[in-house]
Amino acid sequence: MAVLTRPSTAIPASRSRRSPVTWYRSGGLSSIVFALPLVLIFLYFSWGPIVRGLVLSFQKNNLVTTPEWVGMANFSYVLTDPQLPQATLNTLYFALLALIFGFPVPLFLAVFISELRKTGWLYNVFSYLPAVVPPVAAILLWKFFYDPSTSGVFNAILGWFGIGPFAWLNSPDLAMPAIVIEATWAGAGATSIIYLAALTGVRTELYEAAELDGAGIWRRVWHVTLPQIRGIILIMMLLQLIGTFQVFTEPFLFTGGGPDNATTTILLLIYRYAFINGDFGAATALSVLLALVLCVLSVAYHFMTRRWSTT
Amino acid sequence: MTRTARFVVTLTSAALVLTTAACADGSTPAATGGGAIDQKAPVTITVGNKPKPDKPADVAAFERNVKKFMADHPNITVKATETAWDAQTFQAQVAGGSLPTVMSISFTEPLNMIPNKQLPDITDELKLVDLTKDLNPETLKMVQDDKGRIYGVPFEAFSVGLAYNRALFKQAGLDPDKPPANWDEVRQYAKQITEKTGKAGYAQLTKDNTGGWMLTTMTYSMGGTVQSPDGKKSTFNDAPAKKALQLLKDMRWTDNTMGTNFLYNQEEARQDFAAGKIGMIMQAPDAYDMCVKNFGMKPADFGEGALPQDGGPHGTLTGGSIKMINPKSTKNEIVAALKWIKSQEFDKYTTESLAVQNAKDTIADKGFVGRPGITPLSQQTYDQYNKWREPFNNVPVQQFKGYVESTTSLKLLPEPVKKGQEVYALLDPVVQQVLTKKDADIDKLLTDAASKIDARLAR
Repeated sequence: MAVLTRPSTAIPASRSRRSPVTWYRSGGLSSIVFALPLVLIFLYFSWGPIVRGLVLSFQKNNLVTTPEWVGMANFSYVLTDPQLPQATLNTLYFALLALIFGFPVPLFLAVFISELRKTGWLYNVFSYLPAVVPPVAAILLWKFFYDPSTSGVFNAILGWFGIGPFAWLNSPDLAMPAIVIEATWAGAGATSIIYLAALTGVRTELYEAAELDGAGIWRRVWHVTLPQIRGIILIMMLLQLIGTFQVFTEPFLFTGGGPDNATTTILLLIYRYAFINGDFGAATALSVLLALVLCVLSVAYHFMTRRWSTT
Repeated sequence: MTRTARFVVTLTSAALVLTTAACADGSTPAATGGGAIDQKAPVTITVGNKPKPDKPADVAAFERNVKKFMADHPNITVKATETAWDAQTFQAQVAGGSLPTVMSISFTEPLNMIPNKQLPDITDELKLVDLTKDLNPETLKMVQDDKGRIYGVPFEAFSVGLAYNRALFKQAGLDPDKPPANWDEVRQYAKQITEKTGKAGYAQLTKDNTGGWMLTTMTYSMGGTVQSPDGKKSTFNDAPAKKALQLLKDMRWTDNTMGTNFLYNQEEARQDFAAGKIGMIMQAPDAYDMCVKNFGMKPADFGEGALPQDGGPHGTLTGGSIKMINPKSTKNEIVAALKWIKSQEFDKYTTESLAVQNAKDTIADKGFVGRPGITPLSQQTYDQYNKWREPFNNVPVQQFKGYVESTTSLKLLPEPVKKGQEVYALLDPVVQQVLTKKDADIDKLLTDAASKIDARLAR
């Protein structure tokens, strides 16, 4: 009985609103004072730029003279810019290529490495190494590989088999695939580390059971591994999609958007608005639009994949 | 917290940030700080264009100059930064407010910056430090508004010529002292070079705005223009630009004399030129410095001729650098900055001992003396200056003969007056397409580019 009465008296007390005095006495104020600097700093540095960007997108502003409100003019300007359709198509093309070629590679690497019992760490190091190379250095190196003359590294190697030479970055058709190959090389290691971590969470009994049932390696991967880590796979796919929509470094350093705008992505266009034309209104307007599209994409993706999701 | 309370808190904090951001917006001061000029008051200026640490001799010379200047002007403190102009990042620097008090920028910038109030009016201060009289009135126009007020100091100028590799010329059986004078000869020579040496006979800049820049130069040399004098409309959609692109197309696809790389910016092209992979390329004579000093080209292999013409001398593109002053500077800072500019860039032209000393310093720093160019000062001053320094020349001036002769025979045509870098950026893909797509439709390319550029100019 004593056990039962104690909660029955406690429940009404917790349900009734605490008075400010008890709130203060129980340390409510000090916890707010404690958290306030962090919250303010977070708001200012994390959300400040976002809000500032939003404000800028409605202004004509070169950041020196007094800004002028222009309503939706920046938005209508970037939406009617003849370069936008091509930049959008290029970005989608990059995202698609990265999904087809770039997405399976780290997954394959991770499964492959996890299957190797003894020398796995070595392959691990090898696959992660590109992620350690600074992107700019890596791209300069690959530029050298992609040298369009017959003495270029790739052309020379392909030449041994009587293939090529290819123009690589100098060809409007090959430039984007060439960039995707480098981006895959650079990104696979970091992603496969995440998959590897997820793979360690797959219970070994499942494999044993499958093995007892006579499943070979491919069936084990298909029926055990992939379903078990599908949550991570789905998240990585979304992250990759968002990442590929924001691709900038590679086209900027490899081709500057050329040849003939074949690798001009949306982010490169934003960059040009801001830093070549000094048109920060147009740049932020397009950024805001891109952010909106990515938000919609994320939400749609969430609902589309909810059925398969583990979380 | 309940859901509503959470919502209210979020909303309030969002509003808070919004107001803070909005406040931050309006607080950027535009014009110069007021007050009377006091030439003795202590003042600190930051100067850009300090050489990078990979050039220790240049850094040492720069620091020596700073020290000497501060000794001569005890009230002025000079701080140096490596900030330098770059078409790709300059707007960000202006926007970020991180510009030094003085730095060098391209001729293409001031015409956009003056109406945007991104440059201070320095007319009175220029008179005060007695610099106005040295400047060439023609180049001064680049930094003046319609009332004749001055917003910057032009101190360096270039005009485009044709750089060629004398060694490749010899190998191809061409006379290295006779660079091509017209575009037909360029095409012919390029064929000969590729045939005999296997190298690119001719190459063209295409990337990072240089494609548009060089197409503009080519168009000028064919007798065309790119922009109307008031900068309101594009004017390149006609015969000269078409002829220029057709020539590139022929050399690329019919003759195949342009090598394999069609994505060149200036530095990449100079690198390949210095390495002997390119026979001819449009370049201003200052390419010599980078090719020899940074990329190890043999001085004997560098030749510079006049910009080839098509049907009668039309002219060549000219541009250059101006010293800009930060629009947020006070009047005292402007005066101090102008004194710095005068002592670093102008006094050597008018004082023999300084001209000679400068030549000696340059040689000690492994720099070049006597490399031809054009001047933002009066020709007389410039000739006198070169005469003083002649005994110290360490550049094979006779290999620039074609170019030097052209500085008096070819008209100097300025770059597009409005949004020059934007126009160039939109012309880059035109050149790139002609060189990378065999069936490129030149008429359509130019029509499209013209409509894009006109839309930009109207904005």
